[in-house]
Amino acid sequence: MNRGTLPIVARLTALQTPARLAPGGARVVAEIGHRNPLAAILREVNETILARSLCFESGSGSSLTLEVAGRRVLRLTGATGLAGAETCLAAPVLEDEHKDALIKLLQALAAQRSELRVMSAPPGRGSDGVSVGLPVALLADLCLIELNDAGEAEEPEPVAEPPEPATGVEIEAGDEAFLVRFAARMGPTLAAWLISGGSRDGKSDGPEEMVSHLRGFLDDESESIARQLDLVSMVPAGPVCIALGAALSEGHGILCARAEGGTLLGVIEGDATQSLLTAWNAARG
Amino acid sequence: MAVSDHLGAVVKAYPQARIVAFADLSSRMVLASHGNQAVTQEKLDALCEQARIAFDDPLFSLSVEAFGEPHAAVVMALDGVQVFLRSESEPADALVCVCDQTIDLPGFVAKIRETLEKITAGT
Repeated sequence: MNRGTLPIVARLTALQTPARLAPGGARVVAEIGHRNPLAAILREVNETILARSLCFESGSGSSLTLEVAGRRVLRLTGATGLAGAETCLAAPVLEDEHKDALIKLLQALAAQRSELRVMSAPPGRGSDGVSVGLPVALLADLCLIELNDAGEAEEPEPVAEPPEPATGVEIEAGDEAFLVRFAARMGPTLAAWLISGGSRDGKSDGPEEMVSHLRGFLDDESESIARQLDLVSMVPAGPVCIALGAALSEGHGILCARAEGGTLLGVIEGDATQSLLTAWNAARG
Repeated sequence: MAVSDHLGAVVKAYPQARIVAFADLSSRMVLASHGNQAVTQEKLDALCEQARIAFDDPLFSLSVEAFGEPHAAVVMALDGVQVFLRSESEPADALVCVCDQTIDLPGFVAKIRETLEKITAGT
């Protein structure tokens, strides 16, 4: 096929592909398991000629709002649930110096392995007269993405099991201790933890200063913690886990879990909602 | 938009949410609820009490000492997941929820936070 016809074929293919609408009027641009969600985002920008505000939102709640026109990203006007957006948000117009930061944000949004939706709206008033921005072709080149690969979206990638989270804790072969498995599966979100009681009494991980503080609290408050866990679960001495945080989706939090006669107390850093339920269910087997 | 409409929208968006209720933790009362299953008043009262206990000592004190006042709690036990969210502007206002283990927790927490803010703001 003549390389010059590729954009036309890609556009025709996109037009022939039935759109799936999500609640609220958004359009799904990448289903869960899409082979390359980042490419799907860049292709949406590439197909936007007139000035528009495109809000890309993942199923996990994170989003990026871009003002685009003429196959260029003019500015970033909104970011939710993604760290490191300040520089791009502060820029009146995105320029070459912002491309790396913008790519990182797009990659972070695309890496969440959730459904990706886009909502299109008229651009803000501030976009009048802005005609520079970052060409989407440049962003695609830097990400090694072929914008005109029309066939890619037709073959969804099989949904892979999420990788085992990295953690400093090795689960010994045959170690079936529930709390150890749970802590390991929480991954780096669980910054420090300690188990008191049960077969893994004293096992811990994380900075010694934090572990020491947790140990002191467990020593002083073990009975009242047990009572709180009984009451909140309504199952005396049964397995239960409680996570408390300012928001739990960011910042710090406290994790307390009980199983098999032991109590785990830990400190959460970052988004615990991503790993909490998965880790609990996986540890339960 | 009425409170029950807000709660209904959450259940519609997340069918794995068995109960979504708006409660006043200070008076220990559920003021409105929505869900995919019939729930007795006793169950709602118990749920409200569990939320109050989740935001109580000793873990509350530890949280305050470590990072500040907690406004979100997730409780996982043998059956189901409970998510409790307190309003930052009106700490007695809370959403108390019971969900299946299969729920998309990040999305659900974001959704009920937005819903609680709307309810508290009266919008």
